[in-house]
Amino acid sequence: MTSYIRSSGWWLVDVVARLLERDEREAVQGDLAEAGEGAWEGLFAVLGLVVRRQAMAWKNWRPWLAAFGLALPGSLLLMGFSLSVSQAYQQFMEPTILKATGLTMGPGFWLLLCQVFLLIGWSWTGGFVVGSISRRTLWVSATLSFLPCLFCLARFQVECLSRLCLLLFLLPAIWGVRRGLQIARIKLSSAVVLAVAVTAATIPTWSSEGPWIPNWALSWPAWYLVATARKPI
Amino acid sequence: MLGEFEYLLITAAARLGDEAYGAAIREEIEATTGRKCSIGALYTTVDRLETKGLFSTWMGDATPQRGGRAKRMVRVTPKGLEAAKDFYDAVTRVSRGVSWAVNGKGNPA
Repeated sequence: MTSYIRSSGWWLVDVVARLLERDEREAVQGDLAEAGEGAWEGLFAVLGLVVRRQAMAWKNWRPWLAAFGLALPGSLLLMGFSLSVSQAYQQFMEPTILKATGLTMGPGFWLLLCQVFLLIGWSWTGGFVVGSISRRTLWVSATLSFLPCLFCLARFQVECLSRLCLLLFLLPAIWGVRRGLQIARIKLSSAVVLAVAVTAATIPTWSSEGPWIPNWALSWPAWYLVATARKPI
Repeated sequence: MLGEFEYLLITAAARLGDEAYGAAIREEIEATTGRKCSIGALYTTVDRLETKGLFSTWMGDATPQRGGRAKRMVRVTPKGLEAAKDFYDAVTRVSRGVSWAVNGKGNPA
């Protein structure tokens, strides 16, 4: 029983230590092992460091922007847009299937293509910015992103669409977060191309129905990437 | 001007020399002051001193007694030594003439 409690304690130390950066986690866990600290002492020591690190991180404006300016409103808007893209896809495919004539490259196709590109572009750039500016507080941004998802999934009532349609944005967003964590900034030329492409892709959607104005709020991360891009030497 | 804990950290690291890293500094501070030194306070202060340019740190070797985990090695920079000396001088100056710093004859205790 005692060894079970002790091993649970060390398991918790490992879990909590994951909130620290890799090198620091390595050093702290090594120090605990070397000092021969007990599991629960170790847990409180690591918790103390995590709390201090989090408190320091939240003194900066970036985690606030990432969590409350991007992750929370972004996930709500992108869920709505994911649904819109799914409906556009359904509307485009139905007549095609009925006619059984293969692909019809009407104007609906290009609009759908633009929407798919926008969904990926907005999700990726949003995820990238969240990942790059809130490394230490990513867990808060992620939680604020997932909570609306769970809420909407629970209340989803569109019969002709799967609930998963709400989460189409999730994969490119996670990909963006990963890249944001890895490289933090992208090359200026790539950032400009991306921002211009994302902004240009919004043009065909101006004539579409739906609350498009909030969607403009999703374009700023692309321009943020331009502003913070790696400048050529 | 350094804070008291920053001074303790620099002094411990300077005394340990090439063997200065997290656990060793912590042990040194606890042994010399008799006060508990938390890992949280230690590493946040090490970071602050590094940001100020008073410490340089790097990841060292892993050892079996650390469960194969690396040490975060610390070295006091010349600027750090200077800051510690300034702190010590200031404390010495400000302590002149006070009862706990001198004996009855006016000599250092």
